[in-house]
Amino acid sequence: MSFKNLFIEHQRSAEEQAWIDEEIAEQEARFSKIEKEMQDLAPQRDTWYHEFLDRVSTIGFNMDGDDKLVIKPEDLPVKPEGHRDRVVWKHGADGD
Amino acid sequence: MARPHIEPFCDRDVHFKNMLLPGFGRDMGFKMLSLDTDSGACSMTVQFGGGYKQAPGFSWSEMEMMVVEGELRVGDRSVRKGHYFFVPAGYAMPAISSEQGALVLMMYNTAEPSHVEATEHHPQCQLNLYHDVDSYMDIPWAVGNVTKPSVASGCLIKLLNYNPISHAMTFLYCMTPNFYQDNISYHDCAEESYHLWGTSWMMQFGDLPTGGYFWRPAYINHGAFASEFGCIALGRTDSKLFNHFHYNPWSTPVQNRERSGARLYQRDPLLYRWAVSKDHNHPHGPEDFETTMPRRGEGFDQAGARVSDGKQHSHWHGHHHHDHGHHHD
Ligand SMILES: [Fe+2]
Repeated sequence: MSFKNLFIEHQRSAEEQAWIDEEIAEQEARFSKIEKEMQDLAPQRDTWYHEFLDRVSTIGFNMDGDDKLVIKPEDLPVKPEGHRDRVVWKHGADGD
Repeated sequence: MARPHIEPFCDRDVHFKNMLLPGFGRDMGFKMLSLDTDSGACSMTVQFGGGYKQAPGFSWSEMEMMVVEGELRVGDRSVRKGHYFFVPAGYAMPAISSEQGALVLMMYNTAEPSHVEATEHHPQCQLNLYHDVDSYMDIPWAVGNVTKPSVASGCLIKLLNYNPISHAMTFLYCMTPNFYQDNISYHDCAEESYHLWGTSWMMQFGDLPTGGYFWRPAYINHGAFASEFGCIALGRTDSKLFNHFHYNPWSTPVQNRERSGARLYQRDPLLYRWAVSKDHNHPHGPEDFETTMPRRGEGFDQAGARVSDGKQHSHWHGHHHHDHGHHHD
């Protein structure tokens, strides 16, 4: 990620590097905890997904702002065979 | 690699740590929200204790700051909750102190947190980018359609910072009680949010309460959305925000990115074909002639190059053509 803004060259001290290293280690632990919690939420999420599909095929899907489109039940997506529910992706589309 | 996906996280679940990096005052506690493992750029919830004092100075990194609770003294001004600062790298801020303490969000965008004592700006500082505003008192709420397709009504925004090159944005947003939006969204940019107050729900991640936070890399599904009792949050994107809405809960980031590419192909086929037809190895992307073209510079003979007084349009003849019937080629 980059905000594409100005970066002023400077020397990172050993003290600063140590601080960053400690924060990286803690962030790894935080990430793993979140990943586990989100896996544990899978059964609840499955219900939410199906309620969502019921709503978009009844009340409608928000296409743009409040403009809604009711999706025909036959057009609703099917859960892929053998799909493992996953919502946390460490580096998004760039893999782990 | 960049910042990892941190979602959902609630800063109320962890304790403040003492900030021990040089330059900062004593009694500054922080909770790390997310950190770029290469650059050290990060977002933190920060607690300044009562009596906190920080000398005037600048950071090597661009920095954004939002007062969440309490009051800060910045130079000779008092700023309160809702006050937002955009501080370019190298911009020397006046002394900062807090008599009773304050809770703030600090976001270092281009490097690790740093504070170099100084009363003068760094020579490379882009001074004109600095701005600050009382976002609660001095900016009205606007409808959330900064981008199209847009969020449902009931999600309002206050734009705090906009980068005209990358289209990165910082904004406050709120959801009215009983807000809901039934679609799944993803973006071509990373998205970050901190819940200043209230709870919202997303179908993948559940409830995000006060103090709730996420840093979400591009192409990750989020939504449907709802907020039962309303919420107010600070949001950011790191480049142009486009809402790719859909209703397939099982699509992956790789599939989402592929779809973004498909939509680019449908919308801008010429540009798409050109972009994929060459091996563009330049690390900063294709050349933008506006940044590379030769310019006249200071030694140029400006007077010698001038052909008019600067207010002339010689193609405007100032008389009526029908009198003698000539025409332009
Ligand atoms: Fe989003």
